[in-house]
Parts: sequence; C-alpha cells; structure tokens
Amino acid sequence: MITTEIAIIGGGPAGLSAAISAASLGAKVAILERDGRLGGQLIKQTHKFFGSEKQYASTRGFDIAKILEEEMEKYKDKIDIYTNATVLGLYEDGVLTIEHNKKYMKMKPEKIIVATGASEKFLSFPNNDLPGIYGAGAVQTLMNEYGVKPGNNVLMVGAGNIGLIVSYQLMQAGVRVKAIIDAAPQIGGYLVHASKVRRAGVPILVSHTIKRAHGKESVEGATIWQLDERWQPIEGTEKYLDVDVICISVGLSPLTEFLWQAGCEMKYIPELGGHVAIRDENLETSVNGIFIAGDVAGVEEASSAMVEGRLAGICAANSLGYGDDRFEELRRDYTEQLKSLRSGPVGAKIVSGLSKVTVKKQFA
Amino acid sequence: MIEKTGVPTKEDIEEITPPKEIREKQAVAVIECYKEIPCNPCYTACKFGAIKEFEDINDRPEIIYEKCVACGQCVIKCPGLAIFIIDETYSETEATVQIPYEYLPLPKEGDYVTALDRAGRPVCRAKVVKVRKGKHPNMTSTVTMAVPKEHSMTVRSLNLEDYFADNTIICRCEGITLGEIRQLISEGYTTIDEIKRISRAGMGPCQGRTCRHLIMQEIRNATGQNMEDMLMPTFRQPTKPVKLGLFVGGEGDD
Amino acid sequence: MRIEEHPILSFENEKRKKIKFIFDGKEYEGLEGDTIASALHAAGVKVLGHHYANNRPRGFYCAIGNCSSCLMTVDGEPNVRICVEELKEGMVVETQKGKGELK
Repeated sequence: MITTEIAIIGGGPAGLSAAISAASLGAKVAILERDGRLGGQLIKQTHKFFGSEKQYASTRGFDIAKILEEEMEKYKDKIDIYTNATVLGLYEDGVLTIEHNKKYMKMKPEKIIVATGASEKFLSFPNNDLPGIYGAGAVQTLMNEYGVKPGNNVLMVGAGNIGLIVSYQLMQAGVRVKAIIDAAPQIGGYLVHASKVRRAGVPILVSHTIKRAHGKESVEGATIWQLDERWQPIEGTEKYLDVDVICISVGLSPLTEFLWQAGCEMKYIPELGGHVAIRDENLETSVNGIFIAGDVAGVEEASSAMVEGRLAGICAANSLGYGDDRFEELRRDYTEQLKSLRSGPVGAKIVSGLSKVTVKKQFA
Repeated sequence: MIEKTGVPTKEDIEEITPPKEIREKQAVAVIECYKEIPCNPCYTACKFGAIKEFEDINDRPEIIYEKCVACGQCVIKCPGLAIFIIDETYSETEATVQIPYEYLPLPKEGDYVTALDRAGRPVCRAKVVKVRKGKHPNMTSTVTMAVPKEHSMTVRSLNLEDYFADNTIICRCEGITLGEIRQLISEGYTTIDEIKRISRAGMGPCQGRTCRHLIMQEIRNATGQNMEDMLMPTFRQPTKPVKLGLFVGGEGDD
Repeated sequence: MRIEEHPILSFENEKRKKIKFIFDGKEYEGLEGDTIASALHAAGVKVLGHHYANNRPRGFYCAIGNCSSCLMTVDGEPNVRICVEELKEGMVVETQKGKGELK
C-alpha cells in the first residue's frame, strides 16, 4: 500500500491548484487522475476566462491548464502524478482503492482533497435517449479536444453559461445552431455570452422547452414548445426544428460518491447543483481530514474552483503542520478572492447556497 | 429586456452611447457590458487609464472617453467579446466599426460583407477596411467595417453570406461588383457616365452592353430616377476589340 | 466530420498519424489522439449499440467517462467505455450484444 501526505482525487482546475498550493507549503502530494492527462475539463474550454488576473482572466481555459502544469513543475519533487488512475472507493479508514493503468492499487494518505468535479445533468422528454442527443460538455469534448463535429444542425437546450458558450463554440467549428431554448423566463448565463450568439443570428427562446425528439436510430428533428408563466406547456405553440443534434445543457451535478462512501455529512442544495458536503471555512468536511474543492463542493465557475483548490491545498497542508508562517496570509488572500468572485448579482445564488452548508467552526 | 432576449434595449444602448461631441472628434471604444459580472480584464488591459479603476470586480466598466486612443487592446482582451470601436471621423458619410471576430474564414480587406445588428439582422452592406488577425495565445481577430455613419451604433456583427448580394458581378469586363456600384451611387455619382469614369464599369471590351442596363437599374433603385429619363453616356468607337494597326493605314483601298 | 480549420485551435489533422482499426468487421481509420468514440463519430458512426433489454439505439451522452452509455467490446473485452479509451492501431471494436460476454 502506497502512503502519502495528501491525496488529491481529480486533476482538474481545483485538484491541480490544490496540489500546487499544498506542495508550495512543503507537503507531499499525490494527484489521482482518471484520465490519461491532467487539466480536467479546462482542456476543452476555448473561451477566455472571466475574473481577474489572479484567476488568469482573459486567458483561454486550455492555456490555463498549461500554466497550472508549468507551475507544478516547480514542485515536482513534492508532487506524484498518477494519470489513468481511477479511484474506485474511499473507505472509512481513509484507504483509497484505485485502478491504475489497469492494475489494482491501494493508497493510504494522511489527508484527502476530493476534487472530482461534476457530471452533466440529463433531461426527461420522449426519445431523449436517441444517439445525437448529447450533453453540452460532451459536444465540447468532441469538438475542442478531438476536432470532430457532432453534426450539422443543433438545438441547444439551456441558456446558462455552458449552453451559450457551447453554442458559440459550435459556430466556431462551422456547425449551425438553429436555436437556444430555456424553460426559464430569462437567460441564465452571462449576457455578454448571450449577446455574442444573438448578434451572430442565433435565436434564444426563453420560456420554451423541448416536447420531443424525432428519429429512429438517431436524431432527425425536434419539436419545441412554449411554456406559460407557471412553466406549463402551451398547446398549439409547437415548432418543428430540422436538427441532427440536440445538446442538453441543464446544469451539472457534483460527483460526490466518495464523500458519501466516507460518511461525510451531506445536504441537498439546489443552488449548488445537488447534494454537497457540509464544510467549514477551510473546506474540510465533517469527516476529519477530508477536504473538498471545485464543482464537487458546489457547481460554479472554474475560476472559483481554482481558488478553492488553492485554499483546500494550504488548509490540508497546514493541518499537517506545514507553512505556519504563511498560512494565515494566504488563507486571507484566497478567501478574499472567493468573496470577490461571488460578490456580484451572479454570485448571489452561490452565496445563498454556500450559507446553508458552511459551518463556522472547524470540525473537531 | 436583454435578460430575455440577449439583445439590449434602446435604453440600454443609449446609456453606453458615447456623447455626440466625442464621436464627432475621435474614435472610441464602446463597452457593451450591460450587467455586473466578476470580470476586469478591460481595466487591466488599458494602458492609457481610459477605463476607470474597479472598486469591486463586479463593477461595470466605465470609460473615460478623453483618454481612449482606440488602440483596441480591450477589444481583444474582453472575455465577453463585448467591446467595439467606432470611428465616426472616418469620412463625410461613413463610420467604421471594429468588432472582435472569432470565426473562420476571416473576411478579406476590401470585401463587402453584410453588417448585422445586435440580433443578427442585416442592417446594411459594409466594406471591410481592416482585418487584424489574432495572435497566439490571445487568438481573437478583429474586423473593421465601413458603414453609413448613422449605423455606427447599430452594426455589431457581420455575415459573409452577402445578404445584399454586393459581391455580385455587374461589369464582367472590368470585374466591378454591385457593392462598388452602390457605393458610388451613395457617394453621389448618379449617372452612368460618372460611374463609368470613376470605376471603369462599361469601359471594357464590351463597351457597356452587358452592364449598362444593370447599372441603370441600380441608379433607379437608389435614387428613384426613371430609366427613360436617364442621361446616356457618350458612345465612342470602336464597338469591338480591334488591332490598333487597323486604323494606322487609314482606309485600305483608298 | 473533422473540423479542418478553427479560429482558436489548431488540430493539424494532416500531421496526425492515421490509425487503422476494425469496427464490426469493417476497417476504419482514426487519427492519433482519438478515443474510439471520437474516431467512430468522425466516421459518421453515432449508434454504438442497442440496449440489452429494450433494444433502443445507444450513443454516448457525456463523452468523459461518466454516463457509461458508450459500452462496447474492445479486443474481446466487454463493457469498455469507448469515450475515454484511446484508439490504438489494430484494435477490434465490436457492438456489444446484451450485457457483454467475457471470453
């Protein structure tokens, strides 16, 4: 059995940031990444990030992944990287079981940072399982990572940031977006993203939902219809769209299996995407020594995920006795950054969600 | 209701429109960031202090027009692609609009494109006057279009589909496009002769047989002139391409 | 349906090594860096199998190894998530019958 000081599950924006900050204080870290490469979903983000310089604003997501990897180089004697390493289970005694390069492996870390991210939500409508109906993130992966178009004509279901960004990226790849629909009465994503696709001629229809998908072996069309103010479909408002791809972008759910397995206290918080762990201000869960960072702690932007990663990293390292001289200053900085990223009207929902799961005092 | 449509209202646009005195004097950035989001690269990108320092990262950017030199740095740094540069001093009748552009193919300088508004609706034809290709790692290109001055605050996008058919060839001999003819008419060249002299449309080997009628139609469409009242150009010989030598010896059997 | 040119990314498809593989008895070609799913999709294959009970067609949903909707038999091994399985020269990919059989 391998031992290490801090095991980080997930090598995405939160996990890599956590590894860097924990190692920078002197802790020995192991990153466990199920994919063959690091960076998580940053790799497929071709747009420039929001935020400020500290969160790499105005830099494209895939370039941020490179920056994080370069930063890790500085601490390479402190960071062990396991790619193709899928954590299978987290046991109550703190042992991780792992499939690493198709072999079974166990690890016993002193602290664990769970940075597993989130998975795409699905939507219920007739024929929703036809090939050609993809999560918006799947389409992003297919296009931006592998250079393959999902099809020729797309209906995007969901006008949150992901729906709007992926619509834009579809157009950049030369795919037509027939319409973006959202059941809510207003656009959920940043209006600058909405304006960008609108001025390219893509209609955004709020208070609209998909009635059904058409097709035998794969998508051949879609019928959408309008919703009234009570979110009930209005008969007679059906429109048929000639599409071969339907993209579902109705949010993400935190990937929390390990937290349940470990016995962390969990709570269902819609604002954060589903069940998340109760945590203290240092991102430690109710199970001593298990920290969380990024979308698994509550779905929001990758900018915040990276800051949460930094915060969880120093907190886990400090709980092992590292970095006493710099810890408080860093903690203040990261906490301030998070506060500022969440301070505006868009952050209000996150702040409200977090207030329901964040406990003041550190768990004993 | 930009929250419902993604398209700003007249009031939204009025709020961010630079004052007339400024627009008459200089090219300026127009920041179309209508709602607070945690984002400040426009402020950090501006080397001229033309964007007011943010007190909070969610602040909406505020521009100090007098300090803006229209360098375009904020245009390519804005993650929302929400900044444009308009220049109403471009010419008597036209303004330029510079937009961030992240699609392929890029238009070429000199091309006519269809200028679109904030809802992607065709507004007018536009001539591409400058294309700045994006550089690694930023990669955002910008396209500057010339449009009639009254559209400087309307045009925010473009389409290569040639909605107005501007790239249609009118004069086959000289390769003059419909866009060029329309442009000349809008500049006040409203007779066949004027258009011929300034563009060579009708001066090629066919002597205007193929294009004259089409040019007349365009003049009619744009000015309302009757085709029967139109001044005809001067018709000169030769009516077909001939060798100069043909004339040199005078009449052969003299 | 490969993306040949892109305003932000460069895929350099012509520089990527071609990788031959077999799908249901027919030879296909993918590119270096592909997963089995991306290579099949590029070749126009969206239907990856049929549900073992209701026989409805199945394609992938998430493309990053979460939804397990893309299980196929690869080199004799059933239930491989082909959206995260790197394509290798000579791979034999088969549509899975039922829940897959261990050979």
